[in-house]
Amino acid sequence: MAMPSALRAWRAARVTPLGELHTPPRMTAALLRLTVQVVLVASLWRGLYAATGTTAGLDREQAVTYAVLAVLATRVRELDQYSGRDTVLQHMHFGTIVYWYLRPLPPQRYYALRALGEQIYGFAWAIVGYAVCVAAGVVQPPKSAAVAGVFMVSLLLGQWVLYYIMLAIDQLCFFTLRNGAAMLILIFAQNLLSGVYAPLWFFPDWFITLSSFLPFQATLSVPLSLHVGRIQLSDAGTQLAIQAAWVVVLALLTRLVWRRAALRVISQGG
Amino acid sequence: MSGSIEVRGLSRTFHTTVRRPGFLGAVRSLVNPERVAKHAVTDISFEVQPGELLALLGPNGAGKSTTIKMLTGILTPTAGEARVVGTVPYEERERNARNIGAVFGQRTQLWWDLPVRESFAILRDIYDVPADEHASRLREFDDLLDLSSFWDTRVRHLSLGQRVRSDLAAALLHDPPVVFLDEPTIGMDVVVKEQVREFLRYQVEERGRTVLLTTHDMTEVERLAERVVLINHGRLVLDGTLDEIRRKFGSTWQVRATLADGHAPVEPWPGVVLVRRDGPQVVFGPDGPAAPTVHQALKQVIERYEVTDIALDEAELEDVMRAAYVQAGDMAADMAGDVAGDVAAQAPARTQGG
Repeated sequence: MAMPSALRAWRAARVTPLGELHTPPRMTAALLRLTVQVVLVASLWRGLYAATGTTAGLDREQAVTYAVLAVLATRVRELDQYSGRDTVLQHMHFGTIVYWYLRPLPPQRYYALRALGEQIYGFAWAIVGYAVCVAAGVVQPPKSAAVAGVFMVSLLLGQWVLYYIMLAIDQLCFFTLRNGAAMLILIFAQNLLSGVYAPLWFFPDWFITLSSFLPFQATLSVPLSLHVGRIQLSDAGTQLAIQAAWVVVLALLTRLVWRRAALRVISQGG
Repeated sequence: MSGSIEVRGLSRTFHTTVRRPGFLGAVRSLVNPERVAKHAVTDISFEVQPGELLALLGPNGAGKSTTIKMLTGILTPTAGEARVVGTVPYEERERNARNIGAVFGQRTQLWWDLPVRESFAILRDIYDVPADEHASRLREFDDLLDLSSFWDTRVRHLSLGQRVRSDLAAALLHDPPVVFLDEPTIGMDVVVKEQVREFLRYQVEERGRTVLLTTHDMTEVERLAERVVLINHGRLVLDGTLDEIRRKFGSTWQVRATLADGHAPVEPWPGVVLVRRDGPQVVFGPDGPAAPTVHQALKQVIERYEVTDIALDEAELEDVMRAAYVQAGDMAADMAGDVAGDVAAQAPARTQGG
């Protein structure tokens, strides 16, 4: 008996991971880059803390753990769609976006499934990296099972927020045919405001206040701060609620834009 | 299989902004953009019966691709109606998607980084094709298109011919009754072209699929299509058989015969003119719109005269189409002019009728 279509279609999630598995050099490069980044980041933060105890509410172990986890987390969503000619921008450029609208699977569902596959695959990389780093003593594990649980929930919500941010940028292509500049700004803002370059706790108060009005810190800074204990369990509820609120707001916004994008495609014919 | 396409008064107008030349022009365009309407397709009507292959022909920019996009549901018409297997494609896009397959020239729907077979598997899941059907269809396509010699290769490493063959298979994996092919063999070598033609012929004749094909390759048209629709400047200027097109636009054939009796009297007959005579050598040509086809003329010559040798020079379809495009362009312009004239003539009446 045929599997229900909704169940079968989820296998579209295989697209990007399969592309990577069929390109071993790309996996080797990713492994090398991740290793070098982890080593350098750990060395950098250890060096920065050589002459100090606690800064911005973080001690050395917390800061190193935060910075290394930030590097590992980037792997979750950093698969190479560009080489596979599978970015929305490329589909718009080559005119192959029409095929997204010629299939019985709605484009937004295909996009979501593909992203889900990427995140699960990227997460597998991150979890292996995490285990290695914990075993090597570079990363400190969560203080308790409760912290670990809250961290996982927060990380999930954070990746969800990140998915919608990336989707919003991709949706720009339907209207501008170019999103390179927006993507560059996004990558910088995402890295800066989510705490990839440095934990947000090191920034001035006005910067932290400003970033609290944006969705970026919900992607990474919140879950990592929960993991290292910079945000206490007692404050976790509020932070998780803010993350969930961003998920809802961005989901509604991107849903609206999908409709506008479809109108754009069917008025211009792809 | 019950595939059919019905198109009634289909029109599509695009609105674009005119860019004025020069710096000041650019500023003016920014402040006060001038919008112009471009009528890509105007009032087109035709039907394609189940199991028929129709060639939609016309010069570049004639409106062929726009028509196909409306029929596949990715473009909404400004006016008129289209139905594909009873479905209005731009209103029920997902339902329509199950009934159609499409190949758009050099745009591939395959995943660039994956082996062809993986792309097929993803499409199988998207279209919800049972595994056994998928496997048997793949075997059939492999027999016709020799896919297995490269289907474990990643798409990025395929030649153009291999990729188009894969795309054709991908478009038909879910067994659609209707297939839209927008210049599928563009840029391919003759061997692969012939393989693709055989494949298409098989799909129409053996599988009963309805195929709407656009192409600039007249050999392809000649070998595959009995009926063609010719559009130019967005208007339909001819819907008929290749013979009708030849008769209308390609009156350049000649029948050269050697008569058994070199002194026999030779007279022209309706639709045929004697071009020249040199003893037993006579050359006939077409005369006016009632001229027979070259094959009919050949038969008529043999019936009328005792000949020892006969040969024909037929205009290549490409020459015929060249003539057709030029004349069809004039016809389309005339039709547009007539409509504009009608509108202009009606405008005062409407105002008066107010």
